[in-house]
Amino acid sequence: MFSYTFQWNQALNRLPQMLDGAWVTMQIAVLSMVLGVLFAIMLTGFRLSGNKILSGFATTWIEVARNTPALFQIYMAHFGVASFGLYFSPIASLLIGITFNNAGYLAENFRGALKAIPDTQTRAARSLGMTPIKAFGYVILPQMLRISFLPISNQMVWAVLMTSLGVTVGMNTDLYGVTQDLNALTFRTFELFALAAVIFYVIVKLINFGARLLAARLFRY
Amino acid sequence: MKKTILLGSMLAASTFASVAQADMLDDIIASGTLRCAVVLDFPPMGMRDASNNPVGFDVDYCNDLAAALGVKAEIVETAFPERIPALMAGRVDVGVASTSDTLERAKTVGFSIPYYAFENAVVGNEKAAMTTWEDMKGKTVGATAGTYEAIWIEGKIKEWGVGEFRPYQTQADVFLALSQGQIDATVATVEVSEANVASGNFPGIMIVDKAPMVPDYVGLFTMRQEYGFINYLDLFVNQQVRTGRYAELYKKWVGEGVPADLTVNGVSR
Repeated sequence: MFSYTFQWNQALNRLPQMLDGAWVTMQIAVLSMVLGVLFAIMLTGFRLSGNKILSGFATTWIEVARNTPALFQIYMAHFGVASFGLYFSPIASLLIGITFNNAGYLAENFRGALKAIPDTQTRAARSLGMTPIKAFGYVILPQMLRISFLPISNQMVWAVLMTSLGVTVGMNTDLYGVTQDLNALTFRTFELFALAAVIFYVIVKLINFGARLLAARLFRY
Repeated sequence: MKKTILLGSMLAASTFASVAQADMLDDIIASGTLRCAVVLDFPPMGMRDASNNPVGFDVDYCNDLAAALGVKAEIVETAFPERIPALMAGRVDVGVASTSDTLERAKTVGFSIPYYAFENAVVGNEKAAMTTWEDMKGKTVGATAGTYEAIWIEGKIKEWGVGEFRPYQTQADVFLALSQGQIDATVATVEVSEANVASGNFPGIMIVDKAPMVPDYVGLFTMRQEYGFINYLDLFVNQQVRTGRYAELYKKWVGEGVPADLTVNGVSR
């Protein structure tokens, strides 16, 4: 039987600390997305390059990023690389782990988007005298980003939620880390995590809303 | 008619009365099983042996408690942060999980009198070349998140104004990070520190000094309103000391020497 008296003020008292944590979570998520998109474009370029080494590198990255748990990737970025004498602070490890994951998934999204762009466009651009890189950069890339805009906002949501894995590598300043610390301090598990869930929910709703507004502005025909 | 109503209400009253009287202690005795939350990531208090069975001071303590109640013990492994949800959701009856009895936590759960007390040691990476606990000043220090020692060292670092604090979720991760040199030092119980240094699993670490803090008294915990059960737990802890079982378990799991005094001078509880 569940017999427990909820004391919501015990969690609400801590709201300022948790909102500070939410801010850190947002910063990490945004930064990891910006870097993730850049790396994903790089990986897409590698795959299109026709160079065996580069496309092999890209394939390996994408396969590992998509087929192993994000927790594993973040853990490796902290404890794994440390076995080789490379030390990253908790926040750096978390950022590296999420960025790695984002780039892998986004590169797959980009691949799907590329399929939606007819090959003839590249050929037309090339016949106008553009170099392969120019043709990609001026003709294909803008369309690719536009087609995959909604999947990108989806990945942004994932990035926010993945920050909660930072506690495994010693983060205590993000929303989940702050909540976990307060939980250990007060044992008000249900109230604190319910509040954290609400904050996460609101953040994600805001991202979705923002993405829709942005899409409406960017993709007006 | 009046008689029927009277009879009916008396019957109803007696039914409710008997429901209200069955408390957690009764439930445990009736079910024949005592479910203990034990942290198995905290040697020598809780760990797993070579064949993956739970063993340790806390495991034995739970078995003793079950034996005293005349029921079967069931060890439910819980990580440190999961102890309270496990209790509240009714998955366990009592926590035998080296839980520091802070006033903040006692607002949420009910604690017994202390059944053990830890002293804490400062463990350093050999490369950090520390000789006293004060050498932690300005260093990167880690500890298991939310523990008594973590709260202490985090406060000290804030007081010093230099250095960095890093909480990890498990004791094993703290010592891994320490051994790798990601952190320079940690504060952990003497028991855990000695066990980990002796195990050889974490090369390059050494015990530097004792941490100058009030012993970390830990209590058994259960639902706050279960006075009957808490009362039983208090007496049980008292009996463990009185019968010499406390010293016996100390010798078995911690080593030679005198176990910590569980009384505080100048005040009674």
